[in-house]
Amino acid sequence: MPKAMIQDNTRCIGCRACMVACKAWNDLPGDTGNSFFAGAGYQNPRDLDPHNYTVITYTGIEAGPNGQPDWVFGRLLCMHCVEPACVSACPTTALTKSPDGPVVFNSWRCIGCRYCMQACPFVVPKFDFDRVVPAIHKCTFCADRIKVGRDPACAQVCPTQAISFGERDDMVKEAKRRIATAPGRYIPHIYGLDEVGGTSVLHLSSVPFEKLGYPTNLPDKAPPDRTSQVLHLTPKIFTTVWVSMAVIAMIVKRRFRFWAHDEHEGDGHGEGHGSH
Amino acid sequence: MTNHWVDMVNADVVMIMGGNPAENHPIAMNWIQKTKERGAIILQIDPRFNRTSHIADVWAKMRSGTDIAFVGGMINYALAKDRVNWEYVRAYTTASYLVKEDFRFHDGLFSGYDAAARSYDKSSWGFEMDGQGRPRRDPSLRHPRCVLQLMKTHFARYDTSTVCGITGTPPETYLKICDLFTSTFAPDRAGTWLYAMGTAQHTHGTQNIRSYAILQLLMGNLGIAGGGINAMRGESNVQGSTDQGLIFDALPGYMKLPIEADRTIEDYYRRVIPVAIDDKAANWWKNTPAYFVSLLKAWWGEHASAANSFAYDYLPKLGRGFQGAGYSHIPLFEAMLAGQIKGIFCFGQNPAVGGPNSNFARSALDKLEWLVAADLFEHESHGYWKRPGVKPADIRTEVFLLPAAGAVEKEGSIVNSGRWMQWRFAATKPLGQSKPDADILTLLFRALKTAYAGGGARPEPILHLAWDYGAEHADPHAIAKEINGRFLKDVTAPDGRTFKAGGQVPAFTLLKNDGSTAAGNWLYCGSYTDQGNMAARRDPTDAPNKIGLYPNWAWAWPANRRILYNRASLSPTGQPWNPRRWVIRWNAAEKKWEGDVPDGGGPPESINPFIMTTSGLADLFAPGLADGPFPEHYEPVESPIKNPMSSVQYDPVIKVWNTPGLDAIGGPDRYPIVATTYRVSEHWQTGAMSRKMPWLVGLMPDAFIEIGSDLARAKGIARGDRVIVESARGRVEAYALVTERFQPFWVQGRVVHQVGVPWHWGWAGLARGDSGNLLTPHVGDANTMIPEFKAFLVDVKRKGDA
Repeated sequence: MPKAMIQDNTRCIGCRACMVACKAWNDLPGDTGNSFFAGAGYQNPRDLDPHNYTVITYTGIEAGPNGQPDWVFGRLLCMHCVEPACVSACPTTALTKSPDGPVVFNSWRCIGCRYCMQACPFVVPKFDFDRVVPAIHKCTFCADRIKVGRDPACAQVCPTQAISFGERDDMVKEAKRRIATAPGRYIPHIYGLDEVGGTSVLHLSSVPFEKLGYPTNLPDKAPPDRTSQVLHLTPKIFTTVWVSMAVIAMIVKRRFRFWAHDEHEGDGHGEGHGSH
Repeated sequence: MTNHWVDMVNADVVMIMGGNPAENHPIAMNWIQKTKERGAIILQIDPRFNRTSHIADVWAKMRSGTDIAFVGGMINYALAKDRVNWEYVRAYTTASYLVKEDFRFHDGLFSGYDAAARSYDKSSWGFEMDGQGRPRRDPSLRHPRCVLQLMKTHFARYDTSTVCGITGTPPETYLKICDLFTSTFAPDRAGTWLYAMGTAQHTHGTQNIRSYAILQLLMGNLGIAGGGINAMRGESNVQGSTDQGLIFDALPGYMKLPIEADRTIEDYYRRVIPVAIDDKAANWWKNTPAYFVSLLKAWWGEHASAANSFAYDYLPKLGRGFQGAGYSHIPLFEAMLAGQIKGIFCFGQNPAVGGPNSNFARSALDKLEWLVAADLFEHESHGYWKRPGVKPADIRTEVFLLPAAGAVEKEGSIVNSGRWMQWRFAATKPLGQSKPDADILTLLFRALKTAYAGGGARPEPILHLAWDYGAEHADPHAIAKEINGRFLKDVTAPDGRTFKAGGQVPAFTLLKNDGSTAAGNWLYCGSYTDQGNMAARRDPTDAPNKIGLYPNWAWAWPANRRILYNRASLSPTGQPWNPRRWVIRWNAAEKKWEGDVPDGGGPPESINPFIMTTSGLADLFAPGLADGPFPEHYEPVESPIKNPMSSVQYDPVIKVWNTPGLDAIGGPDRYPIVATTYRVSEHWQTGAMSRKMPWLVGLMPDAFIEIGSDLARAKGIARGDRVIVESARGRVEAYALVTERFQPFWVQGRVVHQVGVPWHWGWAGLARGDSGNLLTPHVGDANTMIPEFKAFLVDVKRKGDA
C-alpha cells in the first residue's frame, strides 16, 4: 500500500528539527560555509541542494487593516509523485517508483543527464557538481526506514506533529478531516491530492500556496502519461546515450563546477544555466 | 511549574508572556497545538512577532520591561469588570485580611523606605492581628484596609490608556487580550500562564511573576487542570539542579542555608520555621527540622548525632557577600574583578558568553589564578586567555579543562519543568578519558580527603563527609537512593506501619528530626523506594479522571503530585469547580482521595489549599519581598522614558554597581533604542555545544540582530548589512535581519524602537560573531539578583557609517 505524508504548516513552528534529522539519517554534511541567511526570515540554505533534502521556508505575511502579521513556514522536499515525471524521464531507470511510495534513486545507474531535473514539476532533484561519479540528490522518503516499518526521520522527530505519516488513503482522510473540522484555520485545498496526478506529500496551509512560493499552475494529470511512450524507447538506445553523455559530461563538468562556485556568490541557479 | 507540560491540553486559554516556546521549548508546542485544536485560545505577548506568534490567535506587542504595567492593567480590568472568581478569592486567598494601619503606598514607594540604604523597613507591611495571633478579616471584602480593597486602589491606576502609553500595545489589541484571558474567571474555564526568562530576567522579575500569580488567583486558575503558573525552564535539568540546592542561599529541597547569625541549630530553626496564622494552615515549613536533620544525616552519616547538633557546625554559613550583595552571579564576578576570588570551578556554564556584560565577565576571569572546568569542548570561558584582542602572555590564569561526558554518555535523572523526575540510561560509553561530572567530583573528593588527612583548617566536614557512591565511578543509583532517603533505625510510624533500618523512606511525612532517617532531599522522598526506581517507570496509563496525569509515568515531586495546590480545584463545599476536568475527588464511602495526590493529608476542608504559606491561603499581599507587597511598575534601569507611574524611575531597592569603565549605565540621549536578548531554536544557550555542530551552524551561521523595517529605513540599513550595535558597555558587530516582525511602539506620545539581539555567539565555535551579552547591564533583580538580560538601551548603525 502506498504511503503518504501530511505537511501541515498550521502546526509547523519552523524549528527545523526535520532538516537536522534528515541530515543525521542521511549522513549529510553541515553547511558551515553558509553566511547570514540565504532566504527570507531565517531560511538557510536558499534552496534544496545535494546536501539538503529538505528546507523550511519562512514567509512573512503582512498584517491586513485589522489583523496581525503572520509568519508561515513552508517545506521543500521531494513530493514523491504517484506517477513521477522524473522516473519516466530517466533514460536509465536510475529513478524508480516503489510500490509503497518513495521515488528511489539508484546511483550506479545514473549517467548524469539531469533529465529528471528538467522533468520535475517541483524543481526538486539536484545534481552534485562536486563528485566525479554522476549523482542526483533528493529526499528519499526514508525508503530504508519505511521498509522496516519506521516513519521517515523528519516525521519521527517533528515536535508538533506538523508531519504525519501513514497509508496514503488514511492521510487523505485525515487531511480532509482537519480542513472540515477547522475551516477557518485552513485554506480548503490539499496540495498534492490532485496536483500532477497526486503526490505522496500532502501540504496543508493557512494561506494560499502561491504565497508560500509553491508552484500552483500544475495540471491535475500526470505528465508521464504523455511522455512515457516516447521515453520508453530509450532503453533501446541506452548504450549510445550512455557513451555520448559520459563524454559530454566529462568535458562539461569542469565548466559546471566553475559556474557553480561562481554562482554561489551570485543570485542564479547553477543547475539552471547548465541545462542550456 | 505548578502544573506540567501535558496539562496544557486542559487549558481553555493559554497565555504565553515572557516566553517563546516554539523556539526555546519546542516540545511544549505539541501540547499547546493539541489544546488549540480542541478549541482553546492561544494568546502571546512579546515585543516581537516570533515563531510562537504564528500559532497564537492573538499576538500583542509590548515594550520589553513593562510586564507589570501590562498585567496590572489586566488585574484592574478583571476587578473593574467583576470578572473574578469571588468564591475562590474569598476562600483561598488573603483578600479578606486587614493590613496594618500604618501601611502606605505613595508615589511609587511603599511605607518604610530608607533612601540612603536603598531598602525597606517592612514592619508596616504586615497584617493587623487579634489577641490569638490571627489576622483580622473582613469576609465582606469591603473594609478599606483589607487586602482586596488595597489591591483595587493600587491597580486602579493601571487604566488602559496609561498602560498602553507605557507598554506601546495598541489599546484595541490590549482590550482583546484582557477580555479573552479574563473569560477564565468562570469556574468551568481554565487559563494557564506560561512564562520563561523573558519574565524573570528583569530588575523587577520577581514582581513580574507576582503580577501573573495575582491575576491567576483572581481567575481561580491555580490548583485546577489547565491552569497554573508555569515556568518553562530554559535548560533540560535546570528544575532538577534548582531542587538540589543550586541557588546560593538554598539547601536541597528549598530549605534556607544558615546565615552567620545562626550560631546554633536552634538559632537557625528560630529564624526559618514560620508560625501559622490560620487554624487550617498546614504551614508545611514547620517540618523543617525533620528535613534538615535528615539532610545532615545523609551528608555526614554517623558523624552527625544529637550530641553535635547533627554536625550543624559543618555546614557553611552564608555571609553577606561582596559589598553585602550575596553570592549570586553578579556579586561573584564583581568580587572576582576586585581580585577577591583566586580560583573557580566552572562546570556546565560559559559566563564569558552567557553572563551579563560579557566584557566585565571576561575581565573578571582574567584576574583568576586558576580555573577548573569540565566540558565537552573548549569554549570561551576557558579559552578566554586567547580571545581576540588579548595577548595570552598577559593573562596569568592556570586553566584545567577536564573532558566531561555528554548527556547520552551517562546514566541518571533529569527533572523537567513539570517536576517530573525521569530516569535516562547511558546510550554509549564516554569518549576517551572523558568522565561524568559525578565521577570527576568523586575523584576530586578523594584527593581532597587525602590532602586533609594530614590536617588543615577545619578538616572535619571533608574527612567525615559520607561519599559512598563508589571509589572511581559514582553509581547514579546510589546517589538517587541517598536523595530519596533511608531509615537508619527501625521506625514505627504514627499509623502503626513499621519500617526496618536500611529500608528506603517511602514518603517525607516519615522523616524524623531525631537522626533515625537520612534523606538528601525531602522533596524527593518516594522517588526511589523499596519498590524500585520510580523515575524509571514508563506506564502510559492515565488516572481515572483522564486529564493527563499519567501517575505511573516517571515520578513527580512532591509525593508524585502532578498538579500543585490541587485542593483549590474544589470549591469550598468540596465540589470540583469543573466536574468534567476534576483533579481530586473525595470518596466518602472509602474515605480516600481519587485522582491526583492531594496537598497535605486529611479529608476535604481539613486544611487550606496553599500548604506552604503560614495562612494556607495564597498571598495576594506578600510582605516578604524586598521591593513591595504589591507589584508596581518601574522602568528598567536603562529606559527611553521617564516612569509615568511615579517619580521612582527604577526598582528602588536594586543594587546599581559602579566599577569604573565596566558597569556604566547608558541614557536615552546617546542610546535611544530599546534592546532585548533572546535565543533561537538552532543554538543551545551559550552555543558551547551547538556552535561545534555543523548541521546547526549551517542553519544559523552568524550573529545577527533583528531590526524593524521602519528603524532600518531611518538608519539606511538593508537586510544583510553589517551593523554595529552599541550600549554603554560594549559593541557587537552583526548582520542586520530587517523584519516586519519588530514594529515600533507608540510610547508616551512618541515612537520608540526596539531591536532584538540573539546572544549565542562567541569566537570558539564554527559559527561567527560575538555574544549579545557584550551589551547587557550588570544589574539584577531586587529579590533574586537574576541579571537584567531583557531590557536595556543601545544605538544601531550601519558598519562604516559615522
